[in-house]
Amino acid sequence: MTSAVRMTGIVKRFPGVVANDGVDVDIRAGEVHALLGENGAGKSTLSNILTGLYRPDEGTVEIDGRAMQFSSPRDALDAGIGMVHQHFRLVSTFTVAENVVLGESDSPFMMDQSRVAQQVEELSNRYGLAVDPSARIWQLSVGEQQRVEIVKVLYRGAKVLILDEPTAVLTPIEADALFKTLRAMVAEGRTVIFISHKLDEVMKVSDRVTVLRGGKTVGTVETVNTNTRELASLMVGRSVEFNRVARSIPADVSQTVLSLRGVSARDDRGRDALHDISLTVGRGEIVGVAGVAGNGQRELAEAISGMRALSSGHIDVAGEQVQSGRARSAIAKGIAHIPEDRLHTGLASSHSVEDNLALKNYRSSSLSKFRVLRRKAIRAQATDLVQNYDVKTPDTVTPVRLLSGGNVQKVLLAREFSSLPKVLIAASPTRGLDVGAIETVRARLVEAAERGVGILLISEDLDEIMSLADRIVVMYEGRLVDEVAAESADRERLGLTMGGSTVSGGAR
Amino acid sequence: MNSNIFVIIASSAIFYGTPLFFAALGGIFTERSGVLNLGVEGTMLLGGVSGAWASQHVPGSAWFTVLAAIIIGMAAGALTSTLLAILCVTLRTNQTVAGLAITIFAGGVGLSSYFANIWKVAEAPVDRQVRRLDVFGWADAPVVGPILFNQTILTYLSWVLVVLASVYLFRTRFGLQLRAVGESPQTADAMGINVVKYRYLHTILGGALAGLGGVYYSLAIVPTWVDGMTKGAGWIAIALVIFGFWRPSITLIGAYLFGALQSLSSTLKARNVQVSGDVLDALPFFMTIVVLVLVSTRFAHRRLGAPAALGFPYEREER
Amino acid sequence: MKSPVRFERRLEQPKWLNWAIPVVSLITALVLGAIVLLATGKNPLDVYSRIFERGFAGKRALSGSIKTATPLAFTGLCAAIAFRMGLINIGGEGQFYMGAVGATWAGLVFGGDLPPGAVVIVMALSGMVCGGLYAAIVGVLRAKFNTNEIITSLMMNYLAAIFLNYLIYNSTSYWRDPESRNFPAGKPIPDRADWNFYEVGGIKIPLSFLIAILAAAAIWVLYKRTRFGFEVGVIADSPKAARYAGIRTTSTIVIVLALSGALAGLGGAADVGNFRGLLDSKGLQMSGYGYTGIVVAALARLNPISTVVVAVLIGGLTNAGFALQGPDFPSGLVGTLQGLILFTAVAGEVLVKYRIRRNRQAAAVLA
Repeated sequence: MTSAVRMTGIVKRFPGVVANDGVDVDIRAGEVHALLGENGAGKSTLSNILTGLYRPDEGTVEIDGRAMQFSSPRDALDAGIGMVHQHFRLVSTFTVAENVVLGESDSPFMMDQSRVAQQVEELSNRYGLAVDPSARIWQLSVGEQQRVEIVKVLYRGAKVLILDEPTAVLTPIEADALFKTLRAMVAEGRTVIFISHKLDEVMKVSDRVTVLRGGKTVGTVETVNTNTRELASLMVGRSVEFNRVARSIPADVSQTVLSLRGVSARDDRGRDALHDISLTVGRGEIVGVAGVAGNGQRELAEAISGMRALSSGHIDVAGEQVQSGRARSAIAKGIAHIPEDRLHTGLASSHSVEDNLALKNYRSSSLSKFRVLRRKAIRAQATDLVQNYDVKTPDTVTPVRLLSGGNVQKVLLAREFSSLPKVLIAASPTRGLDVGAIETVRARLVEAAERGVGILLISEDLDEIMSLADRIVVMYEGRLVDEVAAESADRERLGLTMGGSTVSGGAR
Repeated sequence: MNSNIFVIIASSAIFYGTPLFFAALGGIFTERSGVLNLGVEGTMLLGGVSGAWASQHVPGSAWFTVLAAIIIGMAAGALTSTLLAILCVTLRTNQTVAGLAITIFAGGVGLSSYFANIWKVAEAPVDRQVRRLDVFGWADAPVVGPILFNQTILTYLSWVLVVLASVYLFRTRFGLQLRAVGESPQTADAMGINVVKYRYLHTILGGALAGLGGVYYSLAIVPTWVDGMTKGAGWIAIALVIFGFWRPSITLIGAYLFGALQSLSSTLKARNVQVSGDVLDALPFFMTIVVLVLVSTRFAHRRLGAPAALGFPYEREER
Repeated sequence: MKSPVRFERRLEQPKWLNWAIPVVSLITALVLGAIVLLATGKNPLDVYSRIFERGFAGKRALSGSIKTATPLAFTGLCAAIAFRMGLINIGGEGQFYMGAVGATWAGLVFGGDLPPGAVVIVMALSGMVCGGLYAAIVGVLRAKFNTNEIITSLMMNYLAAIFLNYLIYNSTSYWRDPESRNFPAGKPIPDRADWNFYEVGGIKIPLSFLIAILAAAAIWVLYKRTRFGFEVGVIADSPKAARYAGIRTTSTIVIVLALSGALAGLGGAADVGNFRGLLDSKGLQMSGYGYTGIVVAALARLNPISTVVVAVLIGGLTNAGFALQGPDFPSGLVGTLQGLILFTAVAGEVLVKYRIRRNRQAAAVLA
């Protein structure tokens, strides 16, 4: 069988890291080839090299047996390689059709909108990618935007399609539809490179799998000859299993620590993002909020932590009302918050570790007196927390942006847990971390619950929610549409409600 | 009828609004590519002083000299903004401070004044000017005559430009790609569009247009060079870009409104209307603040056209 | 096509850059200035040596330079304190005028009655309040409506200039000298209201220069050691993180701009009390201290202590420019040099963020 793409000995260095360290991949024409690896294994760097965005420091790239040197994305496009990025490369104020023709150079001076619209429709019909060519991107759902990305690449005549973590933003049902589209494209002789860290979907969709670890190729296997267990151990270098985490002290739901009554709020553009949400979290209880990204989870976390004003409703912590839109009030009442965007929301990334550890309690009398900071006390607090939470940092004055992802998260956890909160809002707390760090974060969450903290765990990772939560609620378009106890939770039903299908009897 | 005060104000609104429009149109191109040019004021002054020098020294027939002055003024503006492009696009410096540097370097007490001094531009009047025309001999036609048929060639050029610019931005592939560069350079880059090239070209084009606005001041409005003669027009132009939602047609209307405000003082004084001259002089600056407050309040920037990547340097291999 | 060099993001910023960048910027600006001078038929060595002579050589030159440096130190601090929070206040010029207006009023009203020391304090406070309130308008617009502070603060410079003209030329205001019918001028404040000079080693040091040093030290402490400074730092680093930590961003914006304007206003008070003795509309507008202050702050890399040092440097340059102005030394030259310094200071910041590396592949092709 011929190789569509062959990459040999690829090395790519960035200041301070070697992202690819001698990677070899051989992708056959007409297959779905999965690139499997943890975050930071070098998958994205590799695909960015293949699409001409980065230039490799060493190594060769061959397309259809011919050595290529891409110096820009245009070269790669001309060679028939198209990429669907994890963060979509779409201009949100443009229409679908405008996005599709963008960058086309060999076409007439004036755009012929109707011709483009026709071609877009043709492509979407052929591969089951329903999109409206005249819609503007910002009006579309994330799933639709992804379809635009795929249409865009097909329109440019790509023979090889690279999809970077395409299911991260999809409901299980949308993901299945995507897999069908991919099979249809392969059936027509195109080649698909599917980048993922999720074992199940790699097993489901691919013909062969290449596993990357720490910037190196671990090996390539035929999908039919392997299983998730083997892939997992190849991926992390040892065998791991995530099971439901057992808790030594059960939740005490008779005591409510967090209660939301009829909470509504608007998003940054002034549109209603939360509709009449009522929810309680008991002492030591972990409540998981499942849902596809962009359904109001961020607004929910911000509303509870006082970063976003409520348009109606109340939030109480242990019976005391939190002032709407006052982060200071939320902090004082005992709400801790691990935001999704750790480096720019949870932390001031150019500030030192010690300043970040004091970010929420610098006003306390132990750290400042007469409005003057007590630098020594701040340093002492940091030294303590760095040790207790095992943060790997040269010293406490190092800016946090220089720390690794896992250590950044540890700084955040250290600060939030050390404030002895009553309630913790954790938004995607393990996203982007390696396996070791994920285990630490999960253990810390369980530990906090055992100490009596009520935890609201917001995550798109259903596995994470199912393995940690006592109770699961589902968010869809700013509403809570379902609620189930974790033991009786059923993936299929959750998947359906996450996608907006109603389930009789479950919705509140 | 043509001495009616409204006719006079409308006519001078267009006359004084034209240089504001040139500078603002330049700003639209520059900002649509994602570069913020706060050096417009200085760029205009350098264009103006170069044009004035050329008008005094380039030999040949009057119209040739004036044409040369216009081209030289635009070239001076283009050169000045090339400097900005090097700072903002290649060196990726803070665009705000880079623009300020241009204005301080080239502005009323900087290079434009230095050139005016060593070339002795201010010592003689700028005789060869861009004069008001009498189009079709209709300059005295009632009402429309002074307003539409008695303007300079540059005003008529600006009417052509507003159409060309609108077509370019919204009907051509280059315009589409330019807007993509300003909205999302990552997307543009991934689609094989040369972000750096687009930013350089449109920053330079913007500078040339600002230079043209400067030439209008020294060759059409005031017959003698005065240091800092644009008196804040460059800054008003920057506000006009926002006022016009980054669209040439609305910006043209805005430019005429501010043209009217700028001319109000002299017009009313000539008519012996009892209004404080200081209040009238303050009006354009005060209204700029009012307009900025209005457009920055309720309307979300995104929907009304501020390029999303405006002011942000683009760097491909960022991690 | 590949460029022979590329920029690589620095992970850490070495300490030596703190002094290396201003020095290299200054030298580069002088070299670029030399090119401009050569191209326009002047001898750069001659021009520079005369600037040095008139600006820095000898007690008289230094006394003059420190005098010019004083207002620049205040406007430099005004720019630095706001820029540090990412607020681009370029209204130092207008805030300086307003401070002068306020201080002149206080000097005229209280100058005859209060003891001299008290007059200085009243004038300084009045100047600070006027400059601070004037800048606070910009802050309120920014905090309430998210209005771009760059353009509003600049527009307010023009408004302040028109206001000065009104007070001195177009009205019979309290600030105008009623004796000056034909050549309108400001009313001089009583002699008792004049601020002191001190002699140190033959160099005359104005009282306001000492105040500027104190102000710089106070700002340094404010930003480095207090809760307020901590909050400003977090807002500048990440507004989202500030919101997350419960820091009140909007009121901080207004306070910082008011403080920034108060510093410029204090400069205006010094201009009246220590130097001119009256509200000099034309003189203020010709000096352009507010704009030069931006150059000072940028070259000082927004550090308040360095701002005072750089102010003396730029003050010397400006002072020499005033002294030398004539056919051989056209006006505009000093402004051009200042602009070039700002350019190179801005470009120099690139070296803080990036390391410039030779492109390996391009180098291989060349080899």
